Amino acid sequence: MKSFVAFTKKEFTESLRTYRLVVLAAVFLLLGVMSPLFAKILPELLSGVDLGGGIVITAPDPTAMDSWAQFFKNVGQMGMLTLIITFSGIIANELNRGTLIILLTKGMKRHTVILSKFLSASVLWTASYLLCLTVCYAYTEYFWPASILSNAFLAFFSIWLFGEFLIALLIFGGILFGNLYGSLLTCLGVIVTLSLLNILPYVQKYNPIALAGGTLSLLNAQKEAADFIPVTIICSVMAVSLLVMSIVVFNKKQI
Amino acid sequence: MENLQEYLPFLIPLAVIQAGLMLASLIHVLRHDTYRFGNRPLWIVLCLATGIIGPVLYFAIGRGDE
Repeated sequence: MKSFVAFTKKEFTESLRTYRLVVLAAVFLLLGVMSPLFAKILPELLSGVDLGGGIVITAPDPTAMDSWAQFFKNVGQMGMLTLIITFSGIIANELNRGTLIILLTKGMKRHTVILSKFLSASVLWTASYLLCLTVCYAYTEYFWPASILSNAFLAFFSIWLFGEFLIALLIFGGILFGNLYGSLLTCLGVIVTLSLLNILPYVQKYNPIALAGGTLSLLNAQKEAADFIPVTIICSVMAVSLLVMSIVVFNKKQI
Repeated sequence: MENLQEYLPFLIPLAVIQAGLMLASLIHVLRHDTYRFGNRPLWIVLCLATGIIGPVLYFAIGRGDE
């Protein structure tokens, strides 16, 4: 436990010194401001466009739902991409530099490394996501007051859960291949595979990728919470089993 | 864009964050001369021209060890 606390502390110091914390906070703050802005500005930009032949686009006035649609789109794409890039070196850098060898030979357990890295990455992701969510909520509430959000907790929770899944995936990829590109490619490969699987209609309900993109339908009550419960459970189980597999592989790996 | 005033609460924080990221990465690129890949001109262009993607990429995977 003592080594776990010490290693986690070291992880946070590292995040601060490698600018990981600052970059994540800045990007998610940006996404939080951008989402309501895009929702507000898009109809105005479109309404000026003349398609020729007297056809003019008339866009309806933006609502709070447009703002949240932008939020889910931005966080689901740009946010996840940033998350993947910033945490891609989380294991690989350490293995490449050989900085783990001394700690492990001094008796630190290998699972401590994985769990501590997962915990610190999760804390960073949670903090930046909450920052983004708060900023977006404040702007949305300011411009479109008293908007009704149904299933708000599950909708916002599910995209967070997908982020956790990605972190577990990055750690697993890093352990498996031992370099930055292995980590990145594992993550991207899984996302591409899941996206392709999403073409099959009967898989959609159980596909974790639904958590990254499909939660707006939850917020505007097109779908019920029950539709998303199975995929939430599947995603959590997958994240946990990825962590367990990482520990198993790491225990057998020669550093 | 007659009602720019209305967008100021968005535009000011956006501009501050963008410019901050851009300047921070640019200063870092100029003050360090080892990169994991690429060279100085490449990173300067990436940091200045690609919005937030360049700085994020630079700090995450482009920055060399000191």
